[in-house]
Amino acid sequence: MSEPLLVLDNVTKNYGAIQALRGISFSIGRGEVVALLGDNGAGKSTLVKIIAGGLEPTSGRMLFEGKEFLARSPAEAKAAGIETVYQDLSLCTNVDVVANFFMGREITRKVLGVPVLDERAMEAVVGKALANAGTHIPSLRTKVEHLSGGQRQAIELNRFVHWGGKLVLLDEPFAALGVEQTRRGLDMIRQVASQGIGVVIITHIMQQAFQVADRIVVIRQGVVAGDVARNKTSPDAVINMITGETLAGAGPAG
Amino acid sequence: MSPRTRYSLELVLDNLVWFMLVFVLAVFSIFIPNFAQLGIFANIIEASSVLGVMSIGLALVIIAGHMDLSVESVAALSAMAVGIMFCSSGIGLGLQLHPDWLMVPVSLAVALAVGAVIGVINGFLIVRLKMSAFIITLASYIWVRGLVLVVSGGRSAQDLAPAIRWFGIQRLAGLPLTAWIAIGCFVVFSLILAKTPFGRHLVMIGGNETATFRAGIRVNRNLIIAFVLAGAIAGLAGWLLAIRTSGATANLGVGLLFNAFAAVVIGGVSLKGGVGTLPGVYAGVLLLSAINTAINLMGLPANFTQVIHGLLVLAAVLLDAFKQTIRQRLA
Repeated sequence: MSEPLLVLDNVTKNYGAIQALRGISFSIGRGEVVALLGDNGAGKSTLVKIIAGGLEPTSGRMLFEGKEFLARSPAEAKAAGIETVYQDLSLCTNVDVVANFFMGREITRKVLGVPVLDERAMEAVVGKALANAGTHIPSLRTKVEHLSGGQRQAIELNRFVHWGGKLVLLDEPFAALGVEQTRRGLDMIRQVASQGIGVVIITHIMQQAFQVADRIVVIRQGVVAGDVARNKTSPDAVINMITGETLAGAGPAG
Repeated sequence: MSPRTRYSLELVLDNLVWFMLVFVLAVFSIFIPNFAQLGIFANIIEASSVLGVMSIGLALVIIAGHMDLSVESVAALSAMAVGIMFCSSGIGLGLQLHPDWLMVPVSLAVALAVGAVIGVINGFLIVRLKMSAFIITLASYIWVRGLVLVVSGGRSAQDLAPAIRWFGIQRLAGLPLTAWIAIGCFVVFSLILAKTPFGRHLVMIGGNETATFRAGIRVNRNLIIAFVLAGAIAGLAGWLLAIRTSGATANLGVGLLFNAFAAVVIGGVSLKGGVGTLPGVYAGVLLLSAINTAINLMGLPANFTQVIHGLLVLAAVLLDAFKQTIRQRLA
């Protein structure tokens, strides 16, 4: 494989005396889908926040596209090409679908030197993006608070597919989705990866991980307890890694 | 429900306060003798200019999900600063600039600067040190008013320089220039809030601050700007207040804060943040002003105003809840 997209080298995070991450090292390649598994409190969400710029690591370093990388804010991570979908949805329910889709990246045109929102252009882009993904929302001008949970999650997913970037982090993205929508979501992930974008997906559902991931990384008690290619392992072996019945770094089983 | 009925229903809900204003004006015109004349309507607009300007700043901060209780005291301090510099009697220093018109931009700059400085202090403490906006601006409300008393020694300044007074006297289409300034502010800030990325970001921050932070919007920067704007706009309100009263007294503008809150809530701004528009706030301001005028015309004791304002705020909050249920049916 060519040079990896993101390399984590012994990343740690302490909250006071509590060590949430005790030294995480793994890498993600371009176009690769990595499923991040682990029990509650294993440190998955902390790790995602560190990559996405929501938290700073206590020590360790990251390389993004071969260069030293540290995002001090989500804005910096975004500028570098890292998109994140959080498990508690990041939508502003008081504004409409279009405004949410373009949150922080509004299309503007200058009127007398002042940037003014170009609503028509934005609406056209959103309409096209949603139509491509097969998501149906009656009116793009509806405030998000009037939409269902599934529709909201669809907006989030379509948003990351549209903006893409270089690396996408998904923290339990399918929690509120139905069977059909989940299937479509998994398709979206494969589609994004096929464009050469790296994907990290956190999930609790083993079946999803095996459906979509190229590689499975298990985190237990703040360290990497397993890092295996999907086709060289089995759900049972992964569960053993999560619960700690197999030694750290154990390879293929079954 | 067809899209068109839905659309028109939404339109009515979004602009309910304007319909209320028209309704109230119509009722007053029918039942109160001498109400329905242009002079009265002009008076309603004129009397609402100071309150209107102050409400803009307050509304911006509330829409962004915070609170600014200090606007009333800030306006008083700005008015006092202008009064001390440019009034010729009382504690006024009677500062003269040549040519005379130079006093206008200088006094305006002083008023805006005083407001902006307090806005910076509020914004810094609330946003950077993550303290509650309610407490910080309550403190400012008290200490800034204290500062007014300190610098004035409890006395007043009278006889503002005629060059500045001119804005309160000169009329254009029946309204003094001060009223036009208020209207202009509403137009400008309505456009900023509704049409620019900055305005859109403020609304979204008020809706879900975490989401906007994750989306890469510079939340802290935007919020500090909002507090500075609220302060500077309060300073402008103070400038208008000094013109209106041709000077400044130590207790100038006491009670304006609660009228501003009433106007903002009646205008459809939710205290939870993220909801509301500035044209609505202006309608709220005009509604309060219309009711005051009606009370004056009917010869009721002025003490009734406060009771009616209070009931109006209550009605506005209940109406807001009612609107929410209708909207949920629509969705």
